[in-house]
Amino acid sequence: MTKRLLVLGVLVAVLALPIANSVAQEGENIQITFWHAFGGGRMLFIERMVEDFNYTHPGIEVQVEYKGSYRETLNAAILAAEQGNAPHVVQIFEVGTQLALDTGIFIPAEDIVGENVDLLMLDDIIAPVRNYYTVNGKLNSFPWNSSNPILYYNRDMFEAAGLDPDNPPMTFEDVEEVCQTFRETGVAEACITWPLHSWFFEQWMAEQGALLADNDNGRAGRATEVYLDGDAARRIFEWWTGLYADGYYVYSGSLEDWDGANAIFISQQVPMLITSTSDVNFMQNAANENGFAIGTSYIPVPADVERNGVIIGGASLWLTADHPQEELDAALEFVLWMGNTENAVRWHKGTGYFPVRNSAVWVLEQQNWFETHPLYRAAFDQLLETQVNSATAGAILGPFLEIRTMIEEAIQSVMVEGVSVDEALANLDEMADEAVAEYNAGVEE
Amino acid sequence: MQSKFKGGLLPYILLLPTLIILVVFLYYPALNTFRLSLFRKPIRVGAPLRFVGLNNFISLFESASYRNSVTITLEIAFAVVVIGMGLSLAIAVMAVQPVRGAAIYRTLLIWPYALSPAIAGAIFLAILNPQSGLINYVFDTLFGFRPDWLGDPKLAPWAIIAASVWKNLGFNVLFYMAGLQNIPGDVQEAAAIDGANAWERFWLVRFPLLSPITFFLLITNLTYSFFEIFGMVDILTGGGPVQATNIMIFKLYVDAFENHKTGPAAAQSIVLFLLVIGLTLIQFRTTGRRVHYGA
Repeated sequence: MTKRLLVLGVLVAVLALPIANSVAQEGENIQITFWHAFGGGRMLFIERMVEDFNYTHPGIEVQVEYKGSYRETLNAAILAAEQGNAPHVVQIFEVGTQLALDTGIFIPAEDIVGENVDLLMLDDIIAPVRNYYTVNGKLNSFPWNSSNPILYYNRDMFEAAGLDPDNPPMTFEDVEEVCQTFRETGVAEACITWPLHSWFFEQWMAEQGALLADNDNGRAGRATEVYLDGDAARRIFEWWTGLYADGYYVYSGSLEDWDGANAIFISQQVPMLITSTSDVNFMQNAANENGFAIGTSYIPVPADVERNGVIIGGASLWLTADHPQEELDAALEFVLWMGNTENAVRWHKGTGYFPVRNSAVWVLEQQNWFETHPLYRAAFDQLLETQVNSATAGAILGPFLEIRTMIEEAIQSVMVEGVSVDEALANLDEMADEAVAEYNAGVEE
Repeated sequence: MQSKFKGGLLPYILLLPTLIILVVFLYYPALNTFRLSLFRKPIRVGAPLRFVGLNNFISLFESASYRNSVTITLEIAFAVVVIGMGLSLAIAVMAVQPVRGAAIYRTLLIWPYALSPAIAGAIFLAILNPQSGLINYVFDTLFGFRPDWLGDPKLAPWAIIAASVWKNLGFNVLFYMAGLQNIPGDVQEAAAIDGANAWERFWLVRFPLLSPITFFLLITNLTYSFFEIFGMVDILTGGGPVQATNIMIFKLYVDAFENHKTGPAAAQSIVLFLLVIGLTLIQFRTTGRRVHYGA
């Protein structure tokens, strides 16, 4: 009998639990979920910012969740939306823009503010960032973390090899020469690393003023064809895989392995690293801990091609549409707060992502920030000197994630399978065209 | 004596929880997969599915990358089953010997099975790291070079095979040990008296008596090597380098959840399903007939 009572008691308790929970929630704060793609130090930074927001905004409670890589975060958001359970705010990387638009689950930034377009302070957003996220004449998302790739180099190793640490290599050819010096002087056998990531390929295409796809990189109309087998692509492939064949370029062996490339540079196996400016803060700490000095500079480009500049990388914040109005309002308040001048300054200092607002740049200049922190300068100058054209605006492609993998595998196939550059590029171009055609067929016009 | 339930309803009520779970988590998704394989899902979330007939299947077999994936799957699965079972039989034979501390050895042998594939994968990722891994430390010390285990398309499948074999070793060893312990001592003694040496006693007496276990393990290892090594691939190579380890289960996951090609992914799922069913049926028809039950 007691046993039966016990079972009954447990059952009642279990059944009553959700009811108790829902009662407790009534009359409480508006709950907003925010998914992002940053682990490690940046995750802690974001959590701190969200805590600040919650503290200063009574009535709203933002719940923050780390969902893995950029790819995983976007895919998780789409799957969640399919199940009618989308997070309110999602951090989506730049190349996910077209896919995000096509899923139809997000509400464009300019639509949600409606007539209160002043809230966005559009003119305050630095031009290249605003251009990147403006598609179909509308700003679609809220710019947040923007970056471009820069060259990090180990000043101590440059000095040890008898090289001038104030003059890092600026061209593809310079890199080869410097690598030779490092090897001859016995300072380093391999000399440069960066993640085997399509992002760098895309940047070098832009630097050469080359388009990735038709219709002005997919910005004048939906892209229907990629341009991946031209001279610009060939130059990048030949240089990259040539450095690998000579043993000058090394990487961890995995695709898109940012941490792996950082580890090779931090452990001083190579004197040079190309990676995102968003690691300035991290890299400076790591160099200090390992007892060497670093410098930063522009990424090298082919000597005989005019330097066009870089594409905005990084991510922006998107709002999903399918929520009650009061939740949308709260979510809007949150993303506006995340991107305000104060937070843009703070985010820049804490990571190395560049400030996305002119007002934030002004604040930093008033503080003499760039003079006292020269490492943060390279990415910003590189961006300011970027020519405004379709190449540096960056491509938007529906199946960009899939094509990125194809580009990475094409480079890898030349490096480890001995496929010729011409063959790899021809295959790549064909496969990517197919992916675009298949994707476009799946879009309801 | 068999007891009977009164009334026809009670047994069904008792079965209901199991049935509900099977229907919700197994039959419904399986049927839905069959249905989805005939459709394309538009990019727009919530848009109606578009019927495409068998087109998903046709484009699959026209795709070189899919054919490559099938070949790799069969190669890796074959190696995992053969090496895994061979190795565990050898280990089990040694582990059932009456030696000091046998209980400890046996427990340790079964341990790897208790790990999830993701954890096992993470362990191998650390061991196989070309720069800082344990294996390359040994290789560098002994032979003076550092193979790129996960970055070289010739080596990466072997890294997956090794990790998958290791992960499932405990399971196989456990069953083989149980099987070996069940073989009555008198048959072996009789064989010994008849003049059979250790080698003959094993292959002519013990091995045939183990055949039910071997057959059972063959089927479970087959499913393991087609489905469960997903975790290893995901953690160790992500299907690379250049698709060298892009096994079918991994490819279909990427197509379904990363490339948003739900229809083609469902079609791949059906192909994989039929392939494994087919292989299992062949096993039952061929090997299954030679299985000896009872001593």
